Amino acid sequence: MKGKAIALAAGCCLLLSGCGGLDLLPYARELEGMALMRTLGVDAAAEGVAVTASTDAGEEGGERAQVAERTAPSISAAVLGMQAEGAAYVYFGHVGQLLLGEPLARRSAGEALDYVLRDVEMRLDTELYVVRDGGAGEAIAQAAEEGSAAGRLEAMAEDLGLAARSMPRTVRDVLAGLERCGASFAPALRAEGGTFSAVGYAILKDGTLAGWAEDEAAYGVNLLLGQVDADVVEVPVPGGESAALRVVGARTRVRPRFQAGELTGLEILCRVDANLAGGNADLEDPAVRTALEDGLSWKESGRIRAALALGQELGADFLDLQSAAGSAAPWHWGELQAQWEKWPELDWTVEVRAQVRRSYDART
Amino acid sequence: MGLFGRGRESVPPHPRREPRIDLPLSLESLERVFRDAVDFSKREVQLAGDPERVVTLCYIGGMARMERVNDYVLRPMAQDAGLLACPDMAAVMRHMELGALYDLGVERRRDMDRAALDLVEGNCLLLFPGESEVLSLNVGTEEKRSISAPENETVLKGARDAFVESLRTNTSLVRRHLKAPELKIKEQVVGRQSLTLVDVLYVEGITDPALVSRVEAQLAELDIDALLATGNIEEYLADQTRTPFPLLQHTERPDRLCGGLAEGRVGILVDGLPLGYLAPGVIGDFLRAPQDKSTNWMVASMLTMLRYACLLVTLVLPALYVAMVTFHQEMIPTRLAMSIIAAKRDVPFITLFEVLILLIAFEILQEAGLRLPQAIGQTVSIIGGLVVGTAAVEAKIISPAVLIVVAIAGIAGYTMPSQELAGALRLWRFALAVLAGFGGLFGAVLGLAGLVCHLAGVESFGVSYLTPFASNRGGEKEGRAVLRQPLPKTKLRPAVLNTKNRRNQG
Repeated sequence: MKGKAIALAAGCCLLLSGCGGLDLLPYARELEGMALMRTLGVDAAAEGVAVTASTDAGEEGGERAQVAERTAPSISAAVLGMQAEGAAYVYFGHVGQLLLGEPLARRSAGEALDYVLRDVEMRLDTELYVVRDGGAGEAIAQAAEEGSAAGRLEAMAEDLGLAARSMPRTVRDVLAGLERCGASFAPALRAEGGTFSAVGYAILKDGTLAGWAEDEAAYGVNLLLGQVDADVVEVPVPGGESAALRVVGARTRVRPRFQAGELTGLEILCRVDANLAGGNADLEDPAVRTALEDGLSWKESGRIRAALALGQELGADFLDLQSAAGSAAPWHWGELQAQWEKWPELDWTVEVRAQVRRSYDART
Repeated sequence: MGLFGRGRESVPPHPRREPRIDLPLSLESLERVFRDAVDFSKREVQLAGDPERVVTLCYIGGMARMERVNDYVLRPMAQDAGLLACPDMAAVMRHMELGALYDLGVERRRDMDRAALDLVEGNCLLLFPGESEVLSLNVGTEEKRSISAPENETVLKGARDAFVESLRTNTSLVRRHLKAPELKIKEQVVGRQSLTLVDVLYVEGITDPALVSRVEAQLAELDIDALLATGNIEEYLADQTRTPFPLLQHTERPDRLCGGLAEGRVGILVDGLPLGYLAPGVIGDFLRAPQDKSTNWMVASMLTMLRYACLLVTLVLPALYVAMVTFHQEMIPTRLAMSIIAAKRDVPFITLFEVLILLIAFEILQEAGLRLPQAIGQTVSIIGGLVVGTAAVEAKIISPAVLIVVAIAGIAGYTMPSQELAGALRLWRFALAVLAGFGGLFGAVLGLAGLVCHLAGVESFGVSYLTPFASNRGGEKEGRAVLRQPLPKTKLRPAVLNTKNRRNQG
């Protein structure tokens, strides 16, 4: 017993000392000695990249967010440099948002994504945003003056569902898209005076920013991906007035069209559900209902067309239509893969079937 | 003195002296044995008033009941004229043995050991001049605590009688619950000085005879000075002593003991202990509460699952907290991490130290609460838990998060039906917290693996301790530890008990 106890104690001491290459135990860091970074911004700089990191503001805004900035040839070097700046250990394991400045995104967004992929602390479920017409560092610093970038971005992300032309995308989603079809998209935002507003999507192709999906095209992206929780569309009703329809759901199917083994086009069928939110339209009247549904179909069809046209224009299948088409016709998967390079010239048809289900009018 | 006690102290031999009293059975011998024993008494009695025929009555004051001696022994001896008709003392002795004295228990004793023991047990001895044998008459007192409700096993629905300190009362309680004539009660005497009666109970035709033999053999091997405390029997009967986990299940409730006997287990009752033991005891037994069978099977299953969850919580929560706060900060939800940082900012101790301090404080409070009278114990708990805890948090000696973690772990431990199991878990909780403090989750998982290995190596009377999660020699034995089936569907006794009759209902 005594011998075993001594051997056990000696073994523990050996493990803890790190002697003889037995440094098996992880390195301990107390949580209270850490600065938990919540937002990371990466911008292009002459030296390489400028990295800005920000903590969250204290409880109820009682404490200002801390912002650290460093310029270095690489993101890793900049992050390492931040460690030397303060007494606290700068910890990136709780980074929730990664912001890329437009210049850096145009030069190499892939570098930042690759950093997240490889770093031991960063998480792949970090939300990715591209800052349009500006730098990420500047946006984070401005937001930190009144609150924090993390708080504002979280609030914005919660409201994105209501916008119907933007949706949160994680680094994992974007990396998966880039890996699968060479293109993906991330929500774009504009920073003004410390506030953020969603402005559609940044289209990434081959690791760089290729273009923007704005307005109708951005709505089209959400429709194609079925991410429409709430969107109000104005459509004309017989009699000259207009009615407000609240779009509450969309389901899209993409089917490939083949002729003699040749991929000739795509058939896109989108079913849109909406409710009458406002306006003097009598849903009991079949003519009115049909007019509303036709108007909504025309509107949503235009949005989908805009998104598809943008993808073809950029030569980027950022919506991963190939996979969607493959899922609808898995027996054609091999042919789809072989012939998908035709995507920029591919013919497609869009059919939107809108259905107005009910009115919010309490009298009916 | 070292960490493990005195080193290299030789243990001298400890032979049994047989016979214990190497003297002839006589009044002189008795007086010699019981010299300096103020409670030893003797009295000479003339048979039916005949001064020529005098016998000596010996007893121990306080052990013999005077009314019985007077009414059942002295009065017949003084009044029975038939005694005068006996030609000699041998005939008198025979006459008394066959019914002249009004006592159920009349035995003839030939050796000094047995006679002295009878005196100690409360019998009185009648010594006849010229005879080498004596009569031992059962006139012992039956002073005992009355049967009351169990104090440590709450009964919501069920019998409210509990074992008392008198062995015979306890066996009668068992007989009242389990009236089968097949119920066997075998007795052994344990303890060189205490000479404690220990009864082994089982139901013939159900219980595995090998199990009974094993228990009897282990009891027979028990050679100690005195069997006075519960630990005496638990540690000596258990196969392994190098485990903090209980290997014998104890209960205050006769109905629970009878349930175990009917299941095919062996019961043990010890004179002087208001408890019954059931062997074997495996981990599933210690997580089953007595009222489980009185509760709806779905509710009982849910409660058992809750107990298993609490077992995990009480065991690993402090270790998990230490590991996450010290090594794996990414596992903590961001908002919670920020709260912990804010709470710990001014606390001067590292997390492991904080947790250990509080775990020790928790143990001290618990121990203090147990040792003090109930009213004061509760006060100590309240003062310790609320006042000292709150003051320590406010003084930034410990953080509120640690207080919550240790409190949750402690409360979860109280859900264990067996306090012995809870004690073992508390011991391992310390070990896991320390391991987590050195190696994070790696250390905690290493500790848990060690715990599983330890439990896998433990057996209770030949039954794997992890039954029915694991069983001996890799054999698969069906059983349900967590979910309880409706009783009408539980038609078989546990397979691991190797009962002679598996069916328990029609």
